[in-house]
Amino acid sequence: MNMEIAADTLPSTLPRSESDRAAASTCRLMLAFLITGFSALLIGATIGPLQALNYGGVDAYPALRPLLQSYYQGLTIHGVMNGYVFTFFVTCGLLVYLPARELGVAPNLTMWRTCFAVMAVGALCVIYAMADNSSSVLWTFYPPLKGSPFFYFGITLLALGSTMPLPILLKMRATWRRHRPGEITPLVTYMSLTTMLMWGLAGVGVMAELVLQLDPWSLGLIGTVDPIINRTLFWLTGHPIVYFWLMPAYVSWYGLLSRQVGGKLISDPMARITFALLMIFALPVGTHHQFSDPGFSSIWRGILVVLTMSVATPSLVTAFTIGLSLEYAGRLRGGKGWFGWFRALPWGDPSVAAQILAAITFILGGATGIVNGSWQLNAIVHNTTFIPGHFHVTVGSVTAMTFMAISFWMVPHLTGRQLISRRLALFSVWTWFVGMTIFAIGMTWAGLYGVPRRAWVSALPHDTYHALYGAASVPLALVAAGGVLLWVASYAFFAVFFGSILFGRRAAPPPVPFAQSFGGPASSTIDSPPNPAQSASPLIRALDHVWLLTGITVLATLAAYIPILWPFLHHVTRAPGWILW
Amino acid sequence: MDNKTGMSPFDAAFHASAERHERFWIFGVLVMLVLLTIGTMFYVVHDYGLVTGTQSYATDPQAPAREAAFQDGKVVRTGPNSYAVYMVGRAWHWAPDVIHVPEGAEITFYVTSADVLHGFEIQGTPVNLTAMPGVVGTVKYTFRHAGLFRIICNEYCGMFHHAMVARIIVDPAGTP
Repeated sequence: MNMEIAADTLPSTLPRSESDRAAASTCRLMLAFLITGFSALLIGATIGPLQALNYGGVDAYPALRPLLQSYYQGLTIHGVMNGYVFTFFVTCGLLVYLPARELGVAPNLTMWRTCFAVMAVGALCVIYAMADNSSSVLWTFYPPLKGSPFFYFGITLLALGSTMPLPILLKMRATWRRHRPGEITPLVTYMSLTTMLMWGLAGVGVMAELVLQLDPWSLGLIGTVDPIINRTLFWLTGHPIVYFWLMPAYVSWYGLLSRQVGGKLISDPMARITFALLMIFALPVGTHHQFSDPGFSSIWRGILVVLTMSVATPSLVTAFTIGLSLEYAGRLRGGKGWFGWFRALPWGDPSVAAQILAAITFILGGATGIVNGSWQLNAIVHNTTFIPGHFHVTVGSVTAMTFMAISFWMVPHLTGRQLISRRLALFSVWTWFVGMTIFAIGMTWAGLYGVPRRAWVSALPHDTYHALYGAASVPLALVAAGGVLLWVASYAFFAVFFGSILFGRRAAPPPVPFAQSFGGPASSTIDSPPNPAQSASPLIRALDHVWLLTGITVLATLAAYIPILWPFLHHVTRAPGWILW
Repeated sequence: MDNKTGMSPFDAAFHASAERHERFWIFGVLVMLVLLTIGTMFYVVHDYGLVTGTQSYATDPQAPAREAAFQDGKVVRTGPNSYAVYMVGRAWHWAPDVIHVPEGAEITFYVTSADVLHGFEIQGTPVNLTAMPGVVGTVKYTFRHAGLFRIICNEYCGMFHHAMVARIIVDPAGTP
C-alpha cells in the first residue's frame, strides 16, 4: 500500500501513525470502488458483442441457454452493468479520492464506506433480478413492463448510494476553506462538487419514479402506474445521467491530462465555466428524449431544442481548452508546425493515448448528439440504432476509455505495483478506439435505414431479416465487426487491469498527476503555502458560490418541468403491469 | 518570470494568444449553434411540419383501443385528399396490420397502445411516435411515392418485440 505518499498530503495535525492508517484505508477503499466498477464492466462488456453480432444477423443466444434466456435479458444486463454499476462505482470513488488528494483533507471514511455498501447491496439485488430473467426490462425499465422488486429496489439503492459522495465533498471543502479563507475552491474539487450537485438534483426524478411508483407497485402495494409520468420522471434523471458519465471524464481531462502530457492546463476559468454550464443545462432538457412522445406542446418542444443546443456549448469549449493544452505540451516537447505538436505528445503512455483517443471519438459522439437534439432529425433517428450508435461514442468511449486511462496510473498509485504490460495496455485502448469507431459508424449509419434499436433482429426468419434490413447489410456488418474488436480490446484491458493488481512488479507508486494551470499554484493542499496571487475574476468568484448555481438549476428545472408534467398529472392513466418476456 | 502571474515569457505569450483564439472560438460556437437551432426550427415549421401531437387521454389504458374507430381499423376518408388511420399496438402486433393509403394524400395517424409502450416507426419516413397506453397520439404524413412501407415497433415491448411489424401499401394516385 502506498501509505507514504498519501500520508504526506494529509493534515500534519494528525499523529503520524493515525494519518498513515487513514491514508491506507482511503487507498484501499478507492481500490475497492475501482475493482467493483471494472468487474461490472467485465460482465457488461462480455455480453456487449453478442448484441453487436445480433445486428450482423448472428444469433448467439440459443447457444447460451440456460445462462441467458434471450437477447433482451442479455441487453438488460449489458445496459445496467455498464451504464449504472460500472460508472457509478468508478465515479463515486474518483470524485471523493481525487478531491481528497487535491485538498489534502481526509474524506469521511464512514460515509464513503456507506456509499460503497449501499451501492453494493443495490448492485447485488439488481444482478439477482436480471440473472433469473425476472426483470428483462432493459436499463430504461419503462413501465408498465414489470420487473421484480429486487430490480427496482436494487436500482433505488444504486441511485441513492451514487449521491452519497456529495456530503463527503461538501465536508472536505468546508474543512479546506476554514483553513484558507478567501481562496476559491481548487479546480478538481470544484469540478467534482458541481458534478455531484448536478447528480444529486437529477436523482430526484428517478427516485420519485421508484419510491412513489415502481417500488410499491412491484410489491403489490399499488395496482397501477402511469406510463407517461414515469417515463418523464425517468428522463428527468436519464438525461443528466449522461453528464454524470461525461463530467468525471472531463475532471480527468481538465484536472490531470495536461500534467500527464507534460504541460499545463491553459485555462482554469474555462474549466469552471464549463462545469457550471453543464450543471445548469443538464437538468431542464431531459424531455428532449421524448420528442416522439405524445403529451406535451410544440412550444415546449421548441424551447427544449434551444436548451439542448445550448448544452453543446460547454463541450465545444472543452474541445478548445483541452486541445490547446495538448498543443502547449506538444510544443514544449519540441513539436513543430501544424500537426507536429500532436505527434510529439507522449503516445507511449497508455493513459495519455486512451484519453486523447477518447476525445477524438467524442467528435462523432457530439455531432450525433446535436442530430438527436434537432427535433426534426430526431424524428428520423429516434429509437433506431442511431441512438446507441451515438452513446457508444460518448459513454462507451469517452467515459469507458477515460476510466481505463485513469486505472493505468491509479492501479500503480494505489497498489504500488506496475502495469504488467504497457504494450498490452496500449493495444487494448487502440483496439477499443478502432472497434468503437467502427461499431458507432455502423450503428448510426444503420439507423438511417430505420433499423430499430434493442431488437432481436437475428431471431427473425432469415428472409424477414433480409427484407426488413437487407438494405443496411454493410453498416450492420460493421456493427458486428466493431463488436468483435471490442471483445478483444476489453479482454486485453482486463488482463492488464486485474493482472497488474495481482501480479504487477512492486515499484514506487506514482503520485496523482494533478495539472497546474497557467498562473495557478503548484499545489492546493490544505497545508501548502497560501495563494494570495489568486487574482480570480469576479465571474470565477461568483461561480464559486455553488449554492447559487444550485438555485438557478432548480429554478430552470422547475420552469421546464411544471408545464410538461401539468397535463399528465391531470390525466392520470392507471396501467396494470405486464411481464412479456 | 512575470511577477504578477508567475508565468515564463513563453507561457505568457502562449496564454495571451490562447485567450484571443478562445474568444474567437466561443463566438464561432455560439453562431454555429444559433444557426443549427434556426435550421431545425425552420424544417419543423416550414418543411415537413411533422410534429407529434396528442388527441386524448384516458384513465383506463385499454379505453382508447375499445373505441369504434380503433376497433374497425379502417382507413377513414376525412376530406377530398385526406384520410385518418387508427392504429393500436399490442404485444406483439399492430392492428390493423395491413393498410392501403393513396399516394399524395395527407394521412393522419391516431396511435395508441393497449398494453405496454410501443414505437410507431414507419421505416424510410420521419414518422416516429410512441404508442402510449392511455394516450392517443397523432402524426400527419403524406406519402409521395407508391410502394410498400413497413411499420416497425421501435420501443421494447417484450419477447417478440422484433417481430412486431405491419405493412402500409401506398397505392399509386388514381387507383380506386
